[in-house]
Amino acid sequence: MNLEHELRQALKRRTPSSGFDERVLGRIASGATVPVPAPQTRWTRLALPVAASLAFALAGSYYVSQHERQQELAQAEQAARDVVLALQIASEKVSAVQVKVQEISHHERQVEY
Amino acid sequence: MQTAAAPANAPRALADDLVAQARAGSEAAFAEIVREHQSMVFGLAYHFLQSWSQAEELAQEVFVALYQNLARIESPRHLVFWLRRVTSNRCIDWVRSPRYRREVPMNDAHEPGAMPRWRDPMLDALLRRLVAELPPQPRMVVTLRFQEDLDLAEIAAIIDLPLNTVKSHLRRSLDALRRKLAQRGHIHES
Repeated sequence: MNLEHELRQALKRRTPSSGFDERVLGRIASGATVPVPAPQTRWTRLALPVAASLAFALAGSYYVSQHERQQELAQAEQAARDVVLALQIASEKVSAVQVKVQEISHHERQVEY
Repeated sequence: MQTAAAPANAPRALADDLVAQARAGSEAAFAEIVREHQSMVFGLAYHFLQSWSQAEELAQEVFVALYQNLARIESPRHLVFWLRRVTSNRCIDWVRSPRYRREVPMNDAHEPGAMPRWRDPMLDALLRRLVAELPPQPRMVVTLRFQEDLDLAEIAAIIDLPLNTVKSHLRRSLDALRRKLAQRGHIHES
């Protein structure tokens, strides 16, 4: 079998059903339009995915730096809260010591009379 | 759209005049362009989609798009290139869209008597079915090659692929077709 010859026979041009031209004109007359995509070349087919990858990478790195900044901020806030807590504890201890000192002083005064 | 009717016995307009008249708004000239190229456009769509109704729909869209873009057509040769390119692109997009319905191919009931008697209609139907099983781009390469008898450089320009890719698509497609035909006993693989 000569495959290429057989394919030429099997894939001959086909005539559409009668009145095809009238149907096309009718469709045009009714105002039908079809979207005509801009012709794509090899370059535009390549440019879009490359641009998308770059945009994604930039957005990703921006997100990462924003995330890092937020983490640093959260750590700083936590450190500040820790300092405040430490001061509060220290303050409470000082107060407790003051109360004790006063008690001792009062007791000693009582003993002297 | 102007509706200037061509006289019944007027000699066929030169191709250049036809394009110019259609661009100027002549409905008769545009209708003549449709009649002249409908078999090429419909044939590509039919062999690619293996569906008469979907091929008709797609072919109509191609000519409506042509009407919208007549101003871009520079010459009759450019017109043919434009039609082949738009038809090829739309066919490939069609099978990737929700509009595509894979249909069981019917016998050639639309063209009774069109088949020469010495042709084996079963073999033709089998070949068309096997071609329709190829992936979209190789399928269009094969269809353009054997329906339009184009050389590979022309096919590469129409579907905007590197020449080596077109060569590879054609070679691998023919190998696949031979293999499948051999499995069915139609040819002996060497």
